[in-house]
Amino acid sequence: MRSIELTVKILLLTITVALTACTAVQPWERGNLAKPQMALDPYPLQSSLRAHNYGSREAAAGGNAAQGGGCGCY
Amino acid sequence: MRRKGAVVAVIKIKRYFPFSDSTNKETLNKLIPFMVRQALGNCSMRCPTSCIHAVDHERNQHLTVRLYAPEGAELAPQALPLVVEGLIQSFLKPVDWVDAVANQYLPLPYIGVRTLPQPIKIKQLFKKPDCAPLHALTTAALVLPGLLSPAAYAIEGDSVDFQYSHYQEGKRDISGLVSDPLTGVNSVSGIKTLNPIEVDSLHGSAKITLSDRVKFAFNYLQDTWGGATPVATAPSAFGGNGPLLSSDGTTVVGASPFLQSAQQIFLDAQKNSLIQNFDPNTGEAVYTRNNQLTHTLSTASPETRKQGDFKLSYEWDEAAVTVGGGISLEDDYESRFGNIGGRWDINQKQTTLNLDLSYTNSDTNAVLDHDAVTYIDKTAYRLNGQLETLEDEPKSNILSGNRQDWATHFGVTQILNKDALLGADVSYTRSTGYMANPYKAVSVVFIDPDQQFEAPPGGFQGQLKALLEQRPDVRNQWNLGGRYVQYINQLDAALHFDYRFSADDWGIHAHTFEADWVQPLVSGWTVTPRVRYYSQDAADFYTPWFHTEQKFNGRAKDNELPYDPSKFPSKFQDNFSSDQRLSGYGALSGGVTVTKQFAKGLTLETGFEYYTHQGSLKIGGGGEGAYADYDYWLANAALKVDLGALSLGGSGGNGHAGHEHHNHGVHAPAGVMFDHMLPNAGDFMVGYRYMYGNQSGDMLHGANAVSDQAIVANGCGPNPCFVAPDSMTMNMHMLDIMYAPTDWLTLMLMPQFMDMGMTMNRLDGAPLDSEAAKNIGNPLDSNGVPLDIGRHIPHHVQNGHETGGIGDLGMYALFKLFDNGVHHVHITTGLSVPTGDVDIKLRRNHTIDGGFIHYGMQLGSGTWDFKPSLTYTGHIDQFSWGAQASGTVRMEGQNESGYALGDLFQATAWGSYNLTNWLTASVRGMYTLQGGLNGKFNGLINQFGPMDYPQNHGGKYWDVGFGLSAMVPSGDLAGNRVSVEWLQPVEDNVNGYQLERDGALSATWSVAF
Repeated sequence: MRSIELTVKILLLTITVALTACTAVQPWERGNLAKPQMALDPYPLQSSLRAHNYGSREAAAGGNAAQGGGCGCY
Repeated sequence: MRRKGAVVAVIKIKRYFPFSDSTNKETLNKLIPFMVRQALGNCSMRCPTSCIHAVDHERNQHLTVRLYAPEGAELAPQALPLVVEGLIQSFLKPVDWVDAVANQYLPLPYIGVRTLPQPIKIKQLFKKPDCAPLHALTTAALVLPGLLSPAAYAIEGDSVDFQYSHYQEGKRDISGLVSDPLTGVNSVSGIKTLNPIEVDSLHGSAKITLSDRVKFAFNYLQDTWGGATPVATAPSAFGGNGPLLSSDGTTVVGASPFLQSAQQIFLDAQKNSLIQNFDPNTGEAVYTRNNQLTHTLSTASPETRKQGDFKLSYEWDEAAVTVGGGISLEDDYESRFGNIGGRWDINQKQTTLNLDLSYTNSDTNAVLDHDAVTYIDKTAYRLNGQLETLEDEPKSNILSGNRQDWATHFGVTQILNKDALLGADVSYTRSTGYMANPYKAVSVVFIDPDQQFEAPPGGFQGQLKALLEQRPDVRNQWNLGGRYVQYINQLDAALHFDYRFSADDWGIHAHTFEADWVQPLVSGWTVTPRVRYYSQDAADFYTPWFHTEQKFNGRAKDNELPYDPSKFPSKFQDNFSSDQRLSGYGALSGGVTVTKQFAKGLTLETGFEYYTHQGSLKIGGGGEGAYADYDYWLANAALKVDLGALSLGGSGGNGHAGHEHHNHGVHAPAGVMFDHMLPNAGDFMVGYRYMYGNQSGDMLHGANAVSDQAIVANGCGPNPCFVAPDSMTMNMHMLDIMYAPTDWLTLMLMPQFMDMGMTMNRLDGAPLDSEAAKNIGNPLDSNGVPLDIGRHIPHHVQNGHETGGIGDLGMYALFKLFDNGVHHVHITTGLSVPTGDVDIKLRRNHTIDGGFIHYGMQLGSGTWDFKPSLTYTGHIDQFSWGAQASGTVRMEGQNESGYALGDLFQATAWGSYNLTNWLTASVRGMYTLQGGLNGKFNGLINQFGPMDYPQNHGGKYWDVGFGLSAMVPSGDLAGNRVSVEWLQPVEDNVNGYQLERDGALSATWSVAF
């Protein structure tokens, strides 16, 4: 349970820092952010494949736990 | 419509903050051309206003403005950003947010390929004082809703994607107790293992905008896998992997999975495992300590999993909700899931919050491994009511269980500055129910204190048993992740860094680190190297094996366990598992993704990854031993079609992309291949073709139904038949990629992926299963004992058979012979490349090889085939018609497995009528002549039924087909065509004894551009 509390604290801290520490980025300044290579997941098709492989071979759930899916455990 | 010249630019403005609906069409009609000219005229740029020769626009889900220039003209690179700026300034000004996408990579016919400038250059341009305000919304800069959403929400533009992947595990190092054939000395040595797991997967997905704010996405996935996987672990000295000897008794050719040893197990005082040998001089037992562990492997015949899922989302300007659901089906595992999620953009879209909730309900219904089942104790599950047997097969064991997962996920994405993004998320998953793996067991040595007569001095003797693994029925799992993305200005690249921590109440803590470098290169190429590291602790109840000081009570009553779990080591009293997934280890993987974006919204993506799982890579050490290490590689290739970009591009000059496609006009029913060419040089077409065939009628001999007795007597040549097919289904997924280098030639590439399933039933009046060995000449095993191959029969009947993977690759060239606008004739020549497997075998069972699976279940022909056809089509007004003769000629006498499928001839004719401007109905007749099969398998095939004999292949068939074809006439999806056709058998006249056909469905989707 300690690790869970720590988890939540780190998360809250991250959010707070993120929200306060950065300056406003105006819409017209977001050219770089909009590039395809800057997408959070540039290759979603491939990511889902890799995530399925990791998910069926490793004990930790991936970041997408709230999606559901089949087993595919060999 | 007046010909306007070529499209030189397209600007697309999404309506997140709408230009209000009151901005009526009239205003836009005047305003837009005016504004475009203003924008271009105000700044004395290189391109004079006259370059833009026409402007049109449409308002659909967004405002799309197209700029046209006369053929041969070119648009100055600076012009485009000016127009975008102008549009915004002119009438979107009160709105402080708009999503604009200028089509940057529009290589247009007639003016040569000209890449428009990068957004960064556009921005600099706006800094010139005479060029109006800096509030320029640089084109691509505003695709933020997509950017800020996690993948779950990234339902961006309309698109269709296909992906194929192959997963290949490396062979595992396993060892066993091997007795030297000359000296008889026992020692631990490596054993050649069976083929490791491989998986072929197909993934198709489509994202479609249903209305302004409603988007729909669906996915279809299927994977077929087969190969050897660990069942249990034990010291090699225990003799768990019985070496499989070749017929001369000397060479080890494989490992047979025995999970318990009939002999005694010897341990020293510290419970180290010992190998027993006898001194040749004194005859006394000599013990050698050897703690080398090994897995015991078991092989599975191919199995297929299929999954379908969807997502439906509704978007507001700064929020979205998504609901989704799906189902995943396997023979032994069925999973249904649903999810709901929300996205909320705050802080001028610099911050995005996500919250998701999902529920999954999964049922296990596993027929326990036939080979292993007799060696594994599963009393605990029987007492728990989870084990059943099939009525007609008393030896079968079916383990059932239900599991439920609730998961919730909360994420934040934050823009840090103009070059960096940060994401953080936390998720919690609660799982309850049966979470064990029904195919995994744990080795337990029972040391009976009263039976130590043969124990080594100071040590112990024991009995090795395997217990079906047990896991807790509750698991709470927490996950914390962070993700950072940094833009690297000098290289136009992006660095992605991810870290994830996961902890659960099974005692597993895991860390994942991943870094990607996305590097765009010239001409649409992007290269992304990637590295990932993962490390986890072992679960509290993980152990390779354990020992207990008690007797294994082989005579336990039906309602009691044959052991006392309270005497087990305290960690394993309730739960125990040797599954490598729960062990302590680290995994390092690396790979590269290469993508190439072609013009017109087509992207090819390929990837490769190598993954190594090693106990020694665990953070802090203490991972599982090297015996459990394994590795795999994964290769994938995807074709992505951006329908939005296709419709933006249009082709030629009339501005109504849809009308173009009437030229391709005369489309045959969905089941006809090679029915049309592409009319113009440079045209592309991408299509997807699905075919489903089903046979589940009567067993036929010639054209007549026959009785079971007749099949038993005559269906299998000189031998009796034992089983006959009950149903056979086939699914084929084909990609259809066409390109016209000139107007009289169209090239076509057709990769295919297929899966098949067959169920069988016992024939009335068939001889006893034990007679089956006669069919293949009463073979003997390596010890000279007759092999009872009939023991496979119950499995055939219980489980059915499945295969799947890549089929043969088709390469074709279509030549135009005649075309006067009404009548059209073309000839097609092509080759079918034998990329599909023809050597798929059933697994070994009861120490007897399964042999080749049925001829009709192999995935390809195995031979190079020549495929010519001649096609005629015609059309007048609303009527169209056509006829085609086609053939398949096998160019080799036999394939690598010793046989060749028969040649094929097909003739078909059809007529169709346009019911409306978008819907066409068709009828068709077809005759098929399929030659018999030549040769036979050049290896073992256990022939139990007519489908295993070459003479029962081929025949003559008559069918009628009824089809519908729809084409989207306008809008973003204009030019997309969807067709379906049902082929109804009229008569089957088969060679020998075969199953009657029920019908076939063809469905196609295509878009040309």
